[in-house]
Amino acid sequence: MKLAPRSVPYRALQKSTSLAITAVFIASIGSEIGFGGTQLLLGGLGILIVTVGYEVAYYQRFRYDLTGDTLDIRSGVFSRREREIPYGRIQNVDITRNVLQRLVGLSAVNIETAGGGSTEAVMQYVTPFEAKRLQQEIRRLKKGDTEQRSEVLDDQSGVDASDDQGEVLFEIAPSELALAGVLSFDPRVPGLIIAVFTGSIPFVSPIIPIEAPTLVLVGILIVLVAGGIALAWVVGAVSAVINYWGFRLTRSDDELRYERGLLQRYSGTIPFDKIQAITISDNPLKRRTGYATLAVETAGYSPGQANGRGSEAAVPIASRDRVKRLANEISPYDRPQFNRPPKRIRRRYLVRYLLALGVLTAVLYGAAAWFNATGEVPWYLPAVGVLLTPFAAHYKWLHRGYWLGENHLSTRDGFWSRETKLVAYYRIQTVIDRRTLFQRRWNVATVIADTAGSLSILGTDAAAVDIDDDDAEKLREELTSRLRTALADRRKQRRNRTPFEWLEDSTTVSGSPESDQVVEESSQTVDDEDDTETDTVDPDQDTDSDTSSTGTQDSNPDSNPD
Amino acid sequence: MNKLHPRIRVVWIVRAIVLAAVVGAIGVAVATVFEVSTVIPVGLAVLLVGVGVVHAILRYRNWRYVVGDDAIYLERGVFTEVRTEVPLVRIQHVDSRRSAFDRLVGLASTVVYTAGSRGADVTIPGLTPTDADGLRKRLKTLVIDTDGEDAV
Repeated sequence: MKLAPRSVPYRALQKSTSLAITAVFIASIGSEIGFGGTQLLLGGLGILIVTVGYEVAYYQRFRYDLTGDTLDIRSGVFSRREREIPYGRIQNVDITRNVLQRLVGLSAVNIETAGGGSTEAVMQYVTPFEAKRLQQEIRRLKKGDTEQRSEVLDDQSGVDASDDQGEVLFEIAPSELALAGVLSFDPRVPGLIIAVFTGSIPFVSPIIPIEAPTLVLVGILIVLVAGGIALAWVVGAVSAVINYWGFRLTRSDDELRYERGLLQRYSGTIPFDKIQAITISDNPLKRRTGYATLAVETAGYSPGQANGRGSEAAVPIASRDRVKRLANEISPYDRPQFNRPPKRIRRRYLVRYLLALGVLTAVLYGAAAWFNATGEVPWYLPAVGVLLTPFAAHYKWLHRGYWLGENHLSTRDGFWSRETKLVAYYRIQTVIDRRTLFQRRWNVATVIADTAGSLSILGTDAAAVDIDDDDAEKLREELTSRLRTALADRRKQRRNRTPFEWLEDSTTVSGSPESDQVVEESSQTVDDEDDTETDTVDPDQDTDSDTSSTGTQDSNPDSNPD
Repeated sequence: MNKLHPRIRVVWIVRAIVLAAVVGAIGVAVATVFEVSTVIPVGLAVLLVGVGVVHAILRYRNWRYVVGDDAIYLERGVFTEVRTEVPLVRIQHVDSRRSAFDRLVGLASTVVYTAGSRGADVTIPGLTPTDADGLRKRLKTLVIDTDGEDAV
């Protein structure tokens, strides 16, 4: 299939505009040479012709096809690329539309797979209808049913029909949107202001009266700083409102759908299968007022990473109950009762804070002594903080903990910005147990459950920090064993679920399955189809594993009582 | 529990010496330019070598790994002890690797990749080439045995 024909003029205009801007920029640098108006016009025309030609070729070359088990994309004008993406590997399908694209009726489709830092397939642009169709088709093909194509397509009478599919999990309320805006502060703005300001000091300095009394200077400075903060806050608020405008999460049987954005509409799906972790975060203010933030982590690159932490289905702010209910809907978990680190660890934090205060005081004293101003500068001021350290240590300890739930590991850490993480056991990749030199002195360890989540790159894996040595040992073993049983359970479920669907469509197996054996074998073939691996090798290996792999585990499907 | 090949200490010590030599050379160069005594940079280099040697020995002593029925377990670290458990189901692929220097001393390493963000590459250094190949092949068969579809 091809892209939307309308994408050709759109892309051409887009590209030639950016090229023209660059050209003007370059021309302005070399302005001494002097370009005439006609030359500029001719140049612009030339650029336009070249880009239109390129885009026509791009359009002609771009082909995508939904085959039985892969999405094939052939593209490229000068260097050609053919790419096949197995449906099973697709993490999410995102549709983005900005204002202009919405006006002309175009959508960009991005397809993400796990691994790799970039988007695997970009389709710029298709019609909104086609985008929705792709999203639904991929969803359907991923499940492996190739038979019901016509039926599904008939279902889809219009683009908007699919919008209402599924149960609405979360819809941002105007008050929450307002709150999200109010609480947003764009830290990039002060940086930008400082950059601009320092750059413009030579121009500004003549305006500021240098001879003016210090009070006036300080006043100007305060006004400037306040203005910067206010501006950052306004920008943050506006961008938050624009980003989360009309935010809603819906669920269908095995997927989470999100939609948000005012100027640029983001929408996409996250299969429940691919959710790696759920993070609920709050701070003292939110805790007091009963609000929290929720983020869903998936593996792979996430769209909209530019606006912050890059989680597709992030609820900016909502009441604590709603967040908990939502988290429960996404992945049912039992209420965690956190095991805190041993109490003695509070002494460690106390020592740490005291040391930090001591160093700070010493540095201040040193600086004061250097300038011979020990009498005037209150260098001893930080020492007052000593009074607060016991409380700080206590609260640090209070908010740390982990809990082994039925299906999840929950960890919690942080007082100022507290994060509660929920990681399903079957999502754990590796279990890491770390002890620094200082931790060893206190006989404590940190156990980290690593997942393939995209946020984890920032080092925010679910971690049980500073737990007792022996507990750490136990926790590590417990996590790996729970991971194995959880995986085995899931495999068993999958085996029990798939065969019947498959048998209904199948013509090779006649009659109903009478013994488990038949079901077992057929499911094997289904698995192979899902995986799009070579059919000839795999079944043997799979059955090998069923008989040979550790009879003690539940993973042996032959011991399956069902 | 397996230990690494003792010769890995040589690799680490040589690496420390090279680093110390580079630091020392830069230090000496700076010292001669500013016409101060070269004792400090030389002393620093010697200290670095000493620390490097001790670190290499301790590192070797603390390194342990074992390939179990369903997980690889590694224990390592001098200042920060790290114990990693990599379930075999999670392994994406396995490399065996030999750098030029590795080839010189007749060693190799095995790198195990998972989809995880942190333990994404678990390296077991200091294996004999045959061991590294053997480990890779053994892991391969173990990984094929376990279901690959759960990898992410």
